[in-house]
Amino acid sequence: MIAHAQETIDSDKFKSQLQQLQQKFEQQQQEMRESFEKMMRAQQAEIDSLKKQVAATTNIASTHQAVADEEVKDLKDQVAAVSEAQKKQRPNEFNPSIGLVGETVFSYRSRGNDQTGSDRPGGFDVFQRSVELNIAASVDPFAKGYAVINASADSETGEATLGVEEAAIQTTSLPYNLELKAGRFFGEFGKLSYIHDHELPFVNRPLALDQYIGGESRTDGAQLNWLLPTSHYISLTTGFGAGFGGDSPLNNPGSYRRLSGFNYFGRLSTYFDLTPNVQLETGVSGLINPTTQDRGGAILQPDGLATFTENERQVAGADLKISWVPLQNNQYKRFDWGSEFLYSHSKFLEAPSGDPTAPDAFQHFVGSLGAYSYMTYKWHRQWSAGFLFDWVQNPMNHSDETFAYSPYITWATSHWNQLRLQYTHTDHDPMSGLRADDAIYLQWAWIIGAHAHGWQQR
Amino acid sequence: MAGNNAKHKFQPKEIQNMKSKFFRALFALFITTFAVAAFSAHAAKVRVITTLTDLADFTREIGGDHVDVFSLATGIEDTHGVPMKPSFVPRMNRADLLINVGLGCEHAFLPALLEASKNPKIQYGEPGYVDCSVGIVPAEVPKSTDHSAGDVHPYGNPHYMLDPVRAKTALETIYNALIAKAPQYQADFTRNRNAYLTKLNAKIAEWKKQAEPLKGLAFVSYHEHWVYFADRFGMRYAGTIELKPGVDPTAHHIENTINMMKADKIPFVVREPQFPEKVPALIARQAGAALIKLPIMPGGVPHTETYIEMMDYIINAFVSAQQRSH
Ligand SMILES: [Zn+2]
Repeated sequence: MIAHAQETIDSDKFKSQLQQLQQKFEQQQQEMRESFEKMMRAQQAEIDSLKKQVAATTNIASTHQAVADEEVKDLKDQVAAVSEAQKKQRPNEFNPSIGLVGETVFSYRSRGNDQTGSDRPGGFDVFQRSVELNIAASVDPFAKGYAVINASADSETGEATLGVEEAAIQTTSLPYNLELKAGRFFGEFGKLSYIHDHELPFVNRPLALDQYIGGESRTDGAQLNWLLPTSHYISLTTGFGAGFGGDSPLNNPGSYRRLSGFNYFGRLSTYFDLTPNVQLETGVSGLINPTTQDRGGAILQPDGLATFTENERQVAGADLKISWVPLQNNQYKRFDWGSEFLYSHSKFLEAPSGDPTAPDAFQHFVGSLGAYSYMTYKWHRQWSAGFLFDWVQNPMNHSDETFAYSPYITWATSHWNQLRLQYTHTDHDPMSGLRADDAIYLQWAWIIGAHAHGWQQR
Repeated sequence: MAGNNAKHKFQPKEIQNMKSKFFRALFALFITTFAVAAFSAHAAKVRVITTLTDLADFTREIGGDHVDVFSLATGIEDTHGVPMKPSFVPRMNRADLLINVGLGCEHAFLPALLEASKNPKIQYGEPGYVDCSVGIVPAEVPKSTDHSAGDVHPYGNPHYMLDPVRAKTALETIYNALIAKAPQYQADFTRNRNAYLTKLNAKIAEWKKQAEPLKGLAFVSYHEHWVYFADRFGMRYAGTIELKPGVDPTAHHIENTINMMKADKIPFVVREPQFPEKVPALIARQAGAALIKLPIMPGGVPHTETYIEMMDYIINAFVSAQQRSH
């Protein structure tokens, strides 16, 4: 499905061009900075000496003083102008910014993927999950643009292909606290579905998000966010898009798509300061696709005979995060407890004989629940550890439940270099045909260039 | 289905009732909003957000009754690590001015908060975005912005507020920004600024005199906060316990620091309360130096609510440590 919008680019050429540009820019920046600093120092010295003169001549004629004052003022203005210029040669402070993320997952799983349902092989594995290029800059005074290009390795061929994870324009100055985003982006649903893989608090995306959303909440569409004009923080986001979920199958619109063929989603969230050190954030989310147009086609069930074809998709969610973030030393100590509950309520055409056109095929809704909850404690600038609990009912069969338990420990030598070790035990229901397994992951993620301290990852 | 039909009969009236209730509520909401808006227009205070408490103190001194000031930091935070709380967002949304330290000091929390604030008036580059580093020549500008040098001081050292003379530049920047925003109060702002400047100048003279015995003495600190301060009071800043700004020390670096302090007979280790005490205490003990806990902005330790109180505290702490060591 990712191949749907992937284009292979001559990435080496692109990289070297990028490097040349960056070097040139930095060199110019350095030269300008040095010359300005020189000027500034000279002028500061002049001001200081003039100030001394002014002080020395205060009891001489007042006309003298006026002239000296004038000169000081002129010089001050000049210094201000230089400072202004000096400011302009550090545009990087906000943008444009370019950064690259690399993320490798080394793993061992006790069973093969025929028994775990994973798209990665069992046994020993190395997965270059992300080679992610982030670019962001202002488009014009009214909008900014950003793109996240990922070259992750194909799970079967190992070949890296460039895919556009996000590429969107976002307004910066709409009235009434509105913000419009359009393009390809991670739509706002819940708390962790719009976070990129390497920024998750643990190695893998929670099962409920994987199964109900389809991994990250990627969509091609538009979303409108409204910050309510109240003194209490309330944020409302609504949007629509063709498809929802990065790994989720697309609709089959055929030759004509009605509006009901789109996914409509939204989230309402709010926040409370429980104490100066304790934060609580909560939200509710919804996703509805009134006509999924046989999204993903006829899906064979574990019995090897029946198929399910999706006709309508609905997901509701509620999220809650409580964080202890001590004002004074939050770089050293912190505790997060985040949970999300999801309810999938989708309509399927069930074909017991495997033929959706057979007379015994019938439509019905399946309601399934899923949740995850994690706790992370940070006790050192570089160290944190936590536990993730996962539970999900198969969206096509709510009696088929999966549980997973994952303790993890993270060592971050800095913001840009992080190693994480995680153990995961997964239990499947026997009816799924899958078997319980144990896995060990070692994730190494690193960033070069710009890194945004994003609002969503806070 | 039958149940639904039965229900149907009652709906029109119910809906009408609900509708009228809804519109009444909406109407009341509008009235309240307008009343509040009208009231605040009448009060017409300049709404100022500052990132740190020193800037808030200066703004209150100049603005007096004409400003409503809220500082994102309470004083005990790390200047580079104020938590991004969504409760800041509605306040920033209504602000007229956002006064900040600049030089990348707030890069870990301000850009994201600014975006979330959806307030076009205070965005980077707008007149409401008041960067107090304008007019400050930054020290220790890194040769490159490569991360091998750490990331928290990308444009040079941003801790100029700990030098009271350089801080006057920030005072002037705030003064100009307030006048530009509310020229109708210019006379008051000028009077307040002049009065405060007189007080601050007298204090600076006093601090310089007090700090006379500190001249030439060296110290290390946890984070690179004190370069402008040391420059102002003639002290020697011998390095930091942190390996690089924002990067904790390695065992090797701790050992080197202790050896260097012993060799140079460095008498003080400054510890900012944002950082754990263990390593600075260890270094002070091993090197036979005095450990001094110092605030990095007003409110950082008790009884330092204003900028002047904070500088008093810092100078006094150094001077009494120096006296004790004799
Ligand atoms: Zn710093």
